[in-house]
Amino acid sequence: MGWQEMSEEHVEVVVVGSGAGAAPLSGTLVRAGHQVLMLEKGPLLRTQRQSPDGLSDFKRDELFATGAEKRLTVPGMVNVGESFYSSHVEPDLNDEPHVYRELDGTDRATIEGYTAQVVGGGTQLYGGVSLRFTPDDLRLASFNADRVDLVADPGGEVRREARDWPISYDELEPFYSEAERIVGISGTRAGQEKPASADHYQPPLEPNPISRFVAVGMDALGLVRYRTPLAVITRDHAPSGRVVPADHESIKTAFVNRYGDPLGLKSNVWVSVLAPIVDRPNFELRANCVVTHLEVDGARVSRVHYRDPAGNRRTVTAGTVVVACSAIESVRLLQLSGRLDPAFESRINDSGLLGRYFLTHCFGGASAVLPERADKSKSLDSDWATDHCARPDWIRENRLWAGGAIYNNTSDAALPISLARTWQAQDMDNIWKGYLSEAGIIGGGFEDYLDGNFGRRVSVSFMANQVPQRDNRIELHPTARDKWGRPVAYIIKDWHPHDQELMRILAEQCGQILRNAGDGVEFSGQGGVGGQVSRIANHVLGGARFGNVRTDSVLDRDCRAWQFDNLYVTDGAFMPTSGGANPTLTIQANSLRVGEILLARL
Amino acid sequence: MIVPKDDQYVLNQCTRYLARDAIERRHDFGQYDPGDPRAAICEAWRYPVIDSYFDGSSVDSSYGFNAVTFVYDGRSTPASEVAVVGSFAELYAPIQLRQVVFLGQPCGIWAITVRVPKGQVHYYRFLVDGAWGLDPVNPQTVVLDNGRQWSRFFTEACQVPLTFDRRQRELLSRLVSHLLPFRLPENSRFIRGEYEQLDRRSREDRFPLAYRLDEEVGVVNYIDKVLARAERHNADDYGTCLRIIDGVLRARFPGRDPVTLPPEAFAELYEQMATGPDGAVPGWDSGRYGRPKFFLLMLRRHAMTGAFVHPRHGGNSGTAGWVYLESRFRDSQNRTLFDWRAAIEAPLGLNTDYRG
Repeated sequence: MGWQEMSEEHVEVVVVGSGAGAAPLSGTLVRAGHQVLMLEKGPLLRTQRQSPDGLSDFKRDELFATGAEKRLTVPGMVNVGESFYSSHVEPDLNDEPHVYRELDGTDRATIEGYTAQVVGGGTQLYGGVSLRFTPDDLRLASFNADRVDLVADPGGEVRREARDWPISYDELEPFYSEAERIVGISGTRAGQEKPASADHYQPPLEPNPISRFVAVGMDALGLVRYRTPLAVITRDHAPSGRVVPADHESIKTAFVNRYGDPLGLKSNVWVSVLAPIVDRPNFELRANCVVTHLEVDGARVSRVHYRDPAGNRRTVTAGTVVVACSAIESVRLLQLSGRLDPAFESRINDSGLLGRYFLTHCFGGASAVLPERADKSKSLDSDWATDHCARPDWIRENRLWAGGAIYNNTSDAALPISLARTWQAQDMDNIWKGYLSEAGIIGGGFEDYLDGNFGRRVSVSFMANQVPQRDNRIELHPTARDKWGRPVAYIIKDWHPHDQELMRILAEQCGQILRNAGDGVEFSGQGGVGGQVSRIANHVLGGARFGNVRTDSVLDRDCRAWQFDNLYVTDGAFMPTSGGANPTLTIQANSLRVGEILLARL
Repeated sequence: MIVPKDDQYVLNQCTRYLARDAIERRHDFGQYDPGDPRAAICEAWRYPVIDSYFDGSSVDSSYGFNAVTFVYDGRSTPASEVAVVGSFAELYAPIQLRQVVFLGQPCGIWAITVRVPKGQVHYYRFLVDGAWGLDPVNPQTVVLDNGRQWSRFFTEACQVPLTFDRRQRELLSRLVSHLLPFRLPENSRFIRGEYEQLDRRSREDRFPLAYRLDEEVGVVNYIDKVLARAERHNADDYGTCLRIIDGVLRARFPGRDPVTLPPEAFAELYEQMATGPDGAVPGWDSGRYGRPKFFLLMLRRHAMTGAFVHPRHGGNSGTAGWVYLESRFRDSQNRTLFDWRAAIEAPLGLNTDYRG
């Protein structure tokens, strides 16, 4: 009997995606006995301990992060014919491009803004920086309500577009603590501008020697610093059952950012949250299954349509549907569903805001070459962080609407090929291009280049709120199609002049840290991403923001789509402002919060 | 020897690359003939899947092998029996593929995983319901002496030339050794000394399949392999440009064999390729290849990668690139500042928690 002849499958909850927004709430529901089916587009790549043959699907191999050359062939793109290099778990750009509209009106397919397509999502490849947002990050409308001093905001848009979240920091705080406990994070608490009711951090490992210079620079400026919270366990982790190698320091390998961890010590949500529940009879994880659209019946999503690993069409009906497959792809899934059925469209987009207020981060930083070399191959992603520029006083002094976090990067360019392929590259779209344009790096020049850079480069980054703008949006591209014939995501965005000023000021702060980092530190430069629209640090947020006012949001405060009884969106799409820090921990905490809400409703 | 792999492993290797409705040629970067259906498949070169092997007990006894997974995509033309026949099995004995199951139903994909020593090249065909055929996905094929075409694969750390002939390898060796730091006299002495110092066991661990260590530390072999598989679309560029470069150097140095020319001859050519506008290399036939700079950029990317890549990919011969960095960069107490052995799996490195 073929599947088509079988009675249609029904489950209590379908979760679309398996990353930071999907996994935590699934854990909550499954442990409470609810039936959850998780559909994930990417593969289930296992750690060495999980794999039946004792070998991980991830390797300490630089070509896993950035593989063979391919060429862009998507019709209509300005970059057709250009080379691109993706990791083994990023989507193939020719199969599933994201398209950005450049400032000159041309369309460019880009790998920026794609999180990994794999069980665990972006948490498999991220650097693991797990900062909280500040209380003020969640109330930027209130914070700016009486301000008349903001720089670069002649039209008053910043104050007009700022939004308070419908929940306060105090409401989110218990879920931050719980996320930190179950995910497994190492770092230090003292000095953070983020109140915490509990400290579940594991002790950090020794900082890489190169970070000493950053500490000197931060101290010289009077910036209170703390060890960057990283989603990497340094001790055995009871909630997930993971154990660490006898030599803790061996956890530092530099195969961190853009690498999956073969030993599962990086706390991606697969190893930390999903693996502990995967054998429960009320949970099923189907990898390699892409959801194509949702079907509506009145106020309920009645059916989820997906392709199985062989590409066959399948459906499942569900009592509740949670969409959490990264902001751009979640919005696209809802838009595709609306394209197929006007009834769906009228419900999901009655505010006209679906896809609107797409957000990323103002980010950038400064870099320097240090007088002493360190072994950067023994590093994690970051050692020191400061919330100095997230303090209300600092924000007001600088006439900004919001602040951000600053931390140093330790693992960038730590390995020989990554040093070369990211040479002068500002993002993943120009991997190899900077190195290739400098003709002198050959022979003896190659030695000079290694002497001058290998193990000697350090950078300091900032991550800060971007001003929400209605016209920054995700649409369906008019012509470009993915490998299933579906329109691909079309991202149209620009920076606000206040963003540019904020990036200038924060880049200067990062620059000051390195200029004060001690004798012999050779300052290389500083800046932000304001010159380009496609640079988004893979932090894709907004597009289906939550709020208390139905005409001003896509989701209610519970992350439920306003006009649906059973449809929730829990990845970064819910955010009305993007926060002054990397977003993953906040997405995880909110997912736990929605999990609690669902427990009361199921 | 059959290696047990579950269906999840096989599907993980298939969905992203094979599952699709599209028939557009979006994956043709110049490597396919018109009409080749592989042009619609993402990274068809991945098949058969070459992966690490572990026998469940000993890294030492496992490290010399790969797990090779053959995949037959029978979704459009259902089969009742699929086998693979190849040079990796004793007496070319057929090995049955099994049906891969999803939700209790065969999904049309067949697979089997076998253990094959590293460093080897093999030929195979599928036997589908009694009919012989090439692997319809893997683009690597070879015509054997008897005139029959077979599908081909090679395992990790393979040193057998597959793309270049001897002459091309020699010329390419000169080109890349000029790019890399290893030809500098002190480094060249170091690299040779490093090899000579090793005891036999260490040599076998680090140079399991490399017979020599030269100035280009395996880069030519890396390029040979990347062009045979993942970047097949760049193979024609190499063939054409090596011919042009050979001709340019012969014209500049009449009566001399280009591979014997002094480094300065290559440096000059390089400079012209790197800095001049396209077509500014005197003697370069831009009708045959219009962008010498583009070729140089690719060569540099490949040289850098091949020198420092994990040796499984055929470059970084005997980890010479890593040892060079390990030795060159030391702190005041003479401790290395590139301790690659700590993270890399034994027996290549020293890490025994991670098996590679």
